[in-house]
Formats: sequence, C-alpha cells, structure tokens
Amino acid sequence: MSQLANLRVLIADDHFLIRQFVRNTLKESKIENVQTAADGNETIDLVQKSKLAGQPFDIVFLDWNMPTISGLEVLSYFRAKPEYSDTAFVMLTAESEQQNIMKAIKAGATSYIVKPVSPSDLGKKLFEINEWLKRKRQVSSGMFN
Amino acid sequence: MTGMQQKQILLDDVLAKDIMTAVTRSMRETFSVTVTADPPEYGEGIVALAGDISGIIGLVQAQLDGTLILCMPFEAVKDLLPIVLGKTTPITHEMAVDAVGELTNMIFGQIKNELNQRDHQIKLGIPCVVTGKGHFVCQFHRGKYMIVPFHLDGKLFQVYVALHNSPRLD
Repeated sequence: MSQLANLRVLIADDHFLIRQFVRNTLKESKIENVQTAADGNETIDLVQKSKLAGQPFDIVFLDWNMPTISGLEVLSYFRAKPEYSDTAFVMLTAESEQQNIMKAIKAGATSYIVKPVSPSDLGKKLFEINEWLKRKRQVSSGMFN
Repeated sequence: MTGMQQKQILLDDVLAKDIMTAVTRSMRETFSVTVTADPPEYGEGIVALAGDISGIIGLVQAQLDGTLILCMPFEAVKDLLPIVLGKTTPITHEMAVDAVGELTNMIFGQIKNELNQRDHQIKLGIPCVVTGKGHFVCQFHRGKYMIVPFHLDGKLFQVYVALHNSPRLD
C-alpha cells in the first residue's frame, strides 16, 4: 500500500463536478478515506469534528468561492489555531491572479492549485503535499519528544 | 480610477485566442477531451445565443462593462459528465447546471488572468447559470460582441463576449 493511501482528505467545493473529479484522482492514488463539504460552514464543522474524534484530516482542499464562508476565511480560521498546524490546507480554485495566490500563501496555504488542473498534475501535487506533511510531522515530533 | 493607466479591452483575435486556449484547456484537463474552435464571429447590437444551459458573468473595467457567456446544449454536457462521474451515474439536469457553472468559472477565470497580465485590470462578477431547453440569451445593448464557436464530437457550443464602449480592431 502506498504512503498516500493512509491519508485522510476533505474536499471542500460547492461544485459536485470538482468534488468528484478530485475524488477520482485521489482514488487513483489509493486514497479512499475521503469526505466532502459543499460550503465553508460545513468544512469548518467537519474539520473540527474529525479532530475531536481523534481522526483529523491530513489534507483539506479548499475552493476559494464557496457559500457561507469562503475558502480563504476557512484557511485563516484554522491557521489561527496551532492545533491544526499539521494539517495541509490546499487552495484549489479558479482564482488565478498573483495577488490572490500571495494572499492565500500569506494566510498559510500549504499549496495553491489553479483550476483547471489535470489528474496527473493533481497527482504530482499530492506527492509534494505528502512530503510537506512528513516534514511537518518530523519537526513536530522532534519538538515534543 | 487608479493612477495606473488601464488598457481598453478589444474584441480582437488576441482575445479570441485567449478564449480558445481557456476553453480547450478546461475541457482537456477536466474531461480529457479535445474540442475544436471555429474562427470568431464579430458583430454589433442584439444577438441571440441558442442553447440549453448558459453560464453568465458580468465584467467591469473603469471604462467599460460587458458580459461573458458560455452557452452549451444539454447533450454536450451529458457527453462530458460520465467521464468524471462514471457511466453508471444518471446525469440529472442539476448536475449539468453545476458543471456549466464550474466550467464558466474556470474558463473566464483564465481569461481574466490573461487580460490582467496585460494591464486591463478587469473584475468579474459572481457567475449565474440560466437553463431551459433551447432558451435564448439576448443582449439588449448596442455594443460590439464576439462569438467563438466550439465543437465537441459534432455538438456546437459557444462563448460570447459583449462589451460596451469598446473599439474593435478592423
């Protein structure tokens, strides 16, 4: 089983098409532990509940423009909480302007992916994000052990 | 008005190329399909687009405003969706509307980025989707427009751009 297969992923996007597109790509990488959210409130709720249940998400894909709360606001909300510092928050959005990319990176996005993205490019990004997660967790365990 | 000079958008072959690139890329990356484009058609005044589902976004710049439309027949969307959703999933009208809404976002997001890299400083509104079998989308202004026709497995769909107060390169 690949290292990716153990990842827990949340896909937050108001469009069914994108949720399914990302789910398909994750499945190709053997990632089956996937949940979806269709707006910002639901995203916050699911991320918090999974953490409380002791099964936090490793990766949260965030669309920028979602109903109730935007992906950028969700990102800022969790980046203000140190207990979520090991979670990869990845913007997956059609917002492609440099100033928005910088805004998201400054807010703490682990990665920024502009739609449309091909399954193979998304797959490559997954490996990069997994490397980030490994580094982050090595640092965290070094700090607290 | 900012201190920086804004460049006015022209309905020309450069913009048509941006549209073709954005549409073909969105279709290729999301659905792994190839679409072909016909040469753009230019006109002025009222024109009606015929389709079943239209994604519409308003465009504003300091000097002008306009409308961007992706107009697709349901049959074309019905061909595309099983590629992502699987062949066994029944394709509903709501799914088709969702898909056109997202394609509208992706396509016009790319075009906005290209235009703003060339100092046009445009802003886009929130997209909306209009549906109805064989509905017409009419622009009731006397501005200039450009239509880029695309073909997907023999099915025609169109991208329409209309601008107020925009000179066209002749």
